[in-house]
Amino acid sequence: MLFNSYEYLIYFLPATVLGFFAFGEHPRWAVRWLVVASLFFYGWWNPAHLPLIVASIGVNFWLAHRIQRSPARHRWLVTGVAANLALLGVYKYADFLLRTLAQVGLIAPVELGLALPLGISFFTFTQIAFLVDVSRDKAREPSFDNYALFVTFFPHLLAGPIIHHSEMMPQFQSTSNKRVDWHNVAAGLFLLAIGLAKKVFLADPLVPIVTAGFDHAQTVGLIQAWLSALAYTLQIYFDFSGYTDMALGAALIFNIRLPINFDSPYRALDLRAFWHRWHMTLSRFLREYVYVPLGGNRAGEARVLANLLLTFLLGGLWHGAAWTFVCWGALHGIGLCVVRVWRSSGHGLPPAIAWAITFVFVVVTWVFFRAQSVPDAWAIIRAMTGMSPKADWPAVQTLLSANIAALCALIAGTLIVFRRRNSNELVDSFDGSWMAAAAATAALTLAVLQLSTVAPFLYFNF
Amino acid sequence: MNDAARSRWRFRRWAAGVLGSTAVALAIVAGINTVVDPFQQYRLATAPRFYALHHRWINPGIAKHAVYQTVLIGSSIMESTRNGWIAAACGGPAVNLSMPAISASEIRTLLDTVFASRAPRRVILVLDFNAFAGAPDARQDSAGPIPLYLYDRNPFNDLPYLLSGTVLKKSISLLAGRVDESFRSDTDAPWFWGDRFRFGADEVLKGLDQNNINARFQQPARTLAGTNASFAHNILPVLQRHPDTQFDLVWPPYSMFVWRDFEQRGQLDVTFDFKRDVTRAVAGLKNVAVVDLQTHAEVTTNLDTYMDIYHFSPHVNRWMIERTCAGDDRVDAATVGSAETRLRSALAAWQPPSTAAR
Repeated sequence: MLFNSYEYLIYFLPATVLGFFAFGEHPRWAVRWLVVASLFFYGWWNPAHLPLIVASIGVNFWLAHRIQRSPARHRWLVTGVAANLALLGVYKYADFLLRTLAQVGLIAPVELGLALPLGISFFTFTQIAFLVDVSRDKAREPSFDNYALFVTFFPHLLAGPIIHHSEMMPQFQSTSNKRVDWHNVAAGLFLLAIGLAKKVFLADPLVPIVTAGFDHAQTVGLIQAWLSALAYTLQIYFDFSGYTDMALGAALIFNIRLPINFDSPYRALDLRAFWHRWHMTLSRFLREYVYVPLGGNRAGEARVLANLLLTFLLGGLWHGAAWTFVCWGALHGIGLCVVRVWRSSGHGLPPAIAWAITFVFVVVTWVFFRAQSVPDAWAIIRAMTGMSPKADWPAVQTLLSANIAALCALIAGTLIVFRRRNSNELVDSFDGSWMAAAAATAALTLAVLQLSTVAPFLYFNF
Repeated sequence: MNDAARSRWRFRRWAAGVLGSTAVALAIVAGINTVVDPFQQYRLATAPRFYALHHRWINPGIAKHAVYQTVLIGSSIMESTRNGWIAAACGGPAVNLSMPAISASEIRTLLDTVFASRAPRRVILVLDFNAFAGAPDARQDSAGPIPLYLYDRNPFNDLPYLLSGTVLKKSISLLAGRVDESFRSDTDAPWFWGDRFRFGADEVLKGLDQNNINARFQQPARTLAGTNASFAHNILPVLQRHPDTQFDLVWPPYSMFVWRDFEQRGQLDVTFDFKRDVTRAVAGLKNVAVVDLQTHAEVTTNLDTYMDIYHFSPHVNRWMIERTCAGDDRVDAATVGSAETRLRSALAAWQPPSTAAR
């Protein structure tokens, strides 16, 4: 079920909230109600994948108990992590591997053709982190209901934030959280309205500009290449952060605080700061469960740089089984290495220049993230450097005049990204004013009226 | 009241205010769209507007509420068929529910809507080969989204219609009598386009690379297994489920260029095999006839009746319906081979006009 769909906004969310608080006096049933509702939410698109997630939860819960109780906990941990990665590998990476092997002539062309279960990267990583924490005695979960809710809780299930057992379980266990807190309901509703507005009014209208460039990558000129890349830069931010706002808002209505995922990332002054502000829960996961176990900052400088590069290569691959994502991850890994070397050499840059370099780097690397193939990405980047001789201003003028909504979204989005308070700050200062009420009502009403052509959230692909 | 209670009350009032105002605003929109009903989902309009390319939104409403005994379903090539022509040829009221770039799965969906609402005496299905390309549930990208929620009888999933800003805009236009969008209002020919285009060999040859005909049309390649699977999944079950309805499966008279295109792309044998397999698949069904109008070389080689290699002029539509309802040109398992031979011979003998000669 999409957050920006009628069935979610009009039927599912209100019914689930009412049911949850109706069970308020019976916390265990309130939790079970949320688990059932979350599984319903998950199975809405493709019920065939329900057994997979249920089995994944059951097996991981059992493995956690084995890790906790067995003297051979390391062996159980390795088994658990391997089983989760195997599941992810079969569904997400097997065809990529087979295709690559076929391309280099090692095997005949063959594909499994398995449909990718929604959110598999998210629920697999969440559970790997849990197993690792159990093995480190940092987590312990005796209640299957709470564990099932930890994995399936619908606001984070399909596209994050990637949650941590330690920050969620106390909230799920709290009995007071099963009663209505009107501040949380109001603030959650406010955040949900902000997220929906971001998706509907800022992300979706940019699609024509983005597709006009990326679908004709080999023929774009200088201006259209930059326009498409910038439009995608804004689209992916408003799409994903809008999704996250809706997730955080819905969770808050249930008195659950999910970790924030974005903090005005495009204002970052270097790439390291960017990754502290963009998809923050993925950065945290990669840091804690990949980078640190690889040795983190503890080894020599060369090893640290290698760890950074490897972590971001894996981060790129996590986003999708394609060379474009590998390139994107590699570029960010290299970028972070350069930043690290630069900082350790004691050099500095004026903030404006540091910001400009960071932002341009992020925009350019998004090209790999969005392009349909590496040659397409190179074609756009060549055009961005002016190497494509095509004079495309007339085509850009036609494109923009035919897509006034996109142009408005581009201008408004740029202003919001760089000049306005972000949604976390808005919710932190939320005081239940009438101004906020009017804005939320207008945003919800107008956004719902725009939903009739539903566009899936981009991060569902990952 | 202490501070905590006051704060609770304030946020409660805020949440109730936002939810209440949003609900009221949306209810007003839904009320307007229900009453005005610009796409005729709940009743037929007295002054209907058939908006260009809105077939997929309006046709399910017509299927549910119009009175008819005969239904015509086909792709854009059949849109210029007047209901009156079908009624005159077949008897009883009729309706044309054709849609551009219709796929086999959309034919099934539309037929399900038809049979859930009416028990038509006759269904004429004009079958485009491209409708069976791809997987059984595949649709052509160019067709745009299909609002499946309008094709069923479940009022709870109509929210995308009732709460659509686009629909609201159309409702307001209707109420205000504004005509700021192109539409037809002729209930006898809602989707008729034959009066807006020029027909003639010049039009057909315009921009056509005769050595690579598909360069202009970009039609997908088909496999026999794929087309047969699509027919078995989408069409055959409907024919079997409704033995009291007469089905005419009609192969339409594309211009001979289409067959030349198939030849160029190695699609000729796949196409003939598919036609043969369809004829065999329905051989045991007494309520199904296969009508092959593709062997009429006097039509398919007369490019003056076409606007491009696929689309013919309305008088061909009328001729097709008349022959179908008269029971002409039927083929069965015994005669399908000779029809194929005739078409192959006509194709071999055909000399296309050169662009320069025109």
